[in-house]
Amino acid sequence: MIVKELRELRRDRRTLGMLVAMPLLLLVIFGYAANFYVSSVTAAVVGPQAAAVAATLPPFFDVTVVEPSSGEAEAEAMLRDNTVDVAFVTGQQPVRALVDGSNLFASEAIVSVLNRVGDTVTTDVQYNPELKTSWVMVPAIIGLILTFIGTIVTSIGLVRERETGTLEQLAVMPIRPSQVILGKISPYFLVAAVDMTIITGLGMLLFGVPFNGNVVVFALGAALFLFVVLGLGVFISTISQTTGQAIQTAFFFLLPQILLSGMIFPLDAMAAGVRWIGYLLPLTYFTMISQGVMLRGASLASLWLPFLVLTVMAVVVFTGATLRFRRDLAPGRRGPESAREASAVESTS
Amino acid sequence: MSATGAAPVLLRAVGASRAFGAVTAVDDVTMSVAPGEVVGLLGANGAGKTTLIRLLLGLLPATSGEVELLGGPPDRERRRRLGYVPQGLGLYGDLTVAENLAFAVNAYGAPVPGLPPSLRASSGLLVRDLSLGLQRQLAFLAALAHGPDVLVLDEPTSGVDPLARAALWDTIREQADRGVGVLVTTHYMQETAQCDRLLLMSRARLVAQGSVSDIIGTTTAYAVRTDDWAAAFAALNAAGEPVMLAGRDVRVADSDPVRLRGILSAAGLAADVRAVPATIEERMMALARETESAGA
Repeated sequence: MIVKELRELRRDRRTLGMLVAMPLLLLVIFGYAANFYVSSVTAAVVGPQAAAVAATLPPFFDVTVVEPSSGEAEAEAMLRDNTVDVAFVTGQQPVRALVDGSNLFASEAIVSVLNRVGDTVTTDVQYNPELKTSWVMVPAIIGLILTFIGTIVTSIGLVRERETGTLEQLAVMPIRPSQVILGKISPYFLVAAVDMTIITGLGMLLFGVPFNGNVVVFALGAALFLFVVLGLGVFISTISQTTGQAIQTAFFFLLPQILLSGMIFPLDAMAAGVRWIGYLLPLTYFTMISQGVMLRGASLASLWLPFLVLTVMAVVVFTGATLRFRRDLAPGRRGPESAREASAVESTS
Repeated sequence: MSATGAAPVLLRAVGASRAFGAVTAVDDVTMSVAPGEVVGLLGANGAGKTTLIRLLLGLLPATSGEVELLGGPPDRERRRRLGYVPQGLGLYGDLTVAENLAFAVNAYGAPVPGLPPSLRASSGLLVRDLSLGLQRQLAFLAALAHGPDVLVLDEPTSGVDPLARAALWDTIREQADRGVGVLVTTHYMQETAQCDRLLLMSRARLVAQGSVSDIIGTTTAYAVRTDDWAAAFAALNAAGEPVMLAGRDVRVADSDPVRLRGILSAAGLAADVRAVPATIEERMMALARETESAGA
């Protein structure tokens, strides 16, 4: 029995890959990424004494903006646009430090450092005055739920068509592949949209999470993100023959999103070698949008970067995945090429 | 185009081959199905039947050769006139009988037909809760509802009791009588009698075609009568003879009776070896053996 099990395991490359890759992945992630300690934050200093105050700040503050001619309004705008983590407003005593509370770990570190400075600086945490974890988690959880529906549920739904043989029947019917894809994906899109609305509403109701921004901007970001994760789900379905395989593969995509998107561990605190993975993940950019819109009331213009990245990802992933799926429905000149697929086709004949 | 001056052809393959990497699943197959004809596609597991069907339906492109459905390439428009019952039936287990039928029929833009008496009581039941026989009836109904000109049925009676099988063959016959061309694969050799013509595949090639008697031809089988049929079977099988069991009768297709007697005698078995007309199954076995030795 043990030998049989080991033989089966040796030939199940996907499970074997998971057994080898998962511990390595977890080791790397928890070794390099699992760090709540933020060692440096970006800072702006505005007002008449900007240069003098900037010179006195401890090295923890990476001063990227010094604007003597700017005032509190410009400082708030910089926070809202996520240009800096903290903005010092000079020209008054004590100096006022506006802290971006939507960046939880950075703001906690800032408050801790400023508390040690003494009475020369007053701290004003914006967007999340009580530094509630739930306020930053709920916008990220929305993204996680969309990822779950988009990748796992969608891929299972599509793979089931292949498992039960109904995909072949669909391919024979006079339905265009685009209609099949649209018909398969639209319900998941709608369910995800409903789920997102419920979670957002419940988050506001139960945890008092604010919604300071524009609903349309939020919805646009969510729609783009949904196209990316639905595309991932479609892609997973094209490389999986069974529901079990689809779940396994989706798990590979899901775990890094949870751990490396900045949802749990701050991206700024991760080692550079791991942080770049986070910047490849769509959830990273959706979290930027959802936290930005809900907590900071950020505008579309200030969120141009995550919107641009998600748009590129949506076009590439969704188009690529649907073209792969389309090949199953309308093979054209290409089809399954491997001997393994040949035996799968003929095994039941 | 299909026209060569002869009768119209609904399904046609000319020198069609399909390879998957180094494996050739269908090798240089030429065949056709005419209106009103029931053509049986036979072959062992892995012979290439399902791949040939997938080529004919346009679900797989041919590596070489040509495939035609209703006089042209098997495209979406031509598939409108096709009824297909795959091995897996292509039904949705989580939809009811009525919902499955409505979905399939709407895809062809045809009106939803009434359910036959056998399915009427199950209209609201989920398909996954139906017996296999009823599921097959529903799959047939869905495939026929839009009045197709061609029917392709992959193992349509597999796992169905004899009575339901007979009913399904009645349906196939009715369709053929009204001019529909039918290509059907089956594992039940007794069903070959229901077909007008047979196509026999072995190791990816079409090795014989025609009526049952055409295919059997002059092939002779030998019936071995002995008190110890199990020992006789084991001895002949060990000697590499294409041996089969029919009840307790041991039968060997297309062999040399002298050699058979020698094998049995060497095994210490007293046996009566008599020439008998071969069955289609035995002819299939002999053809498979010939193909195998030709390919070796």
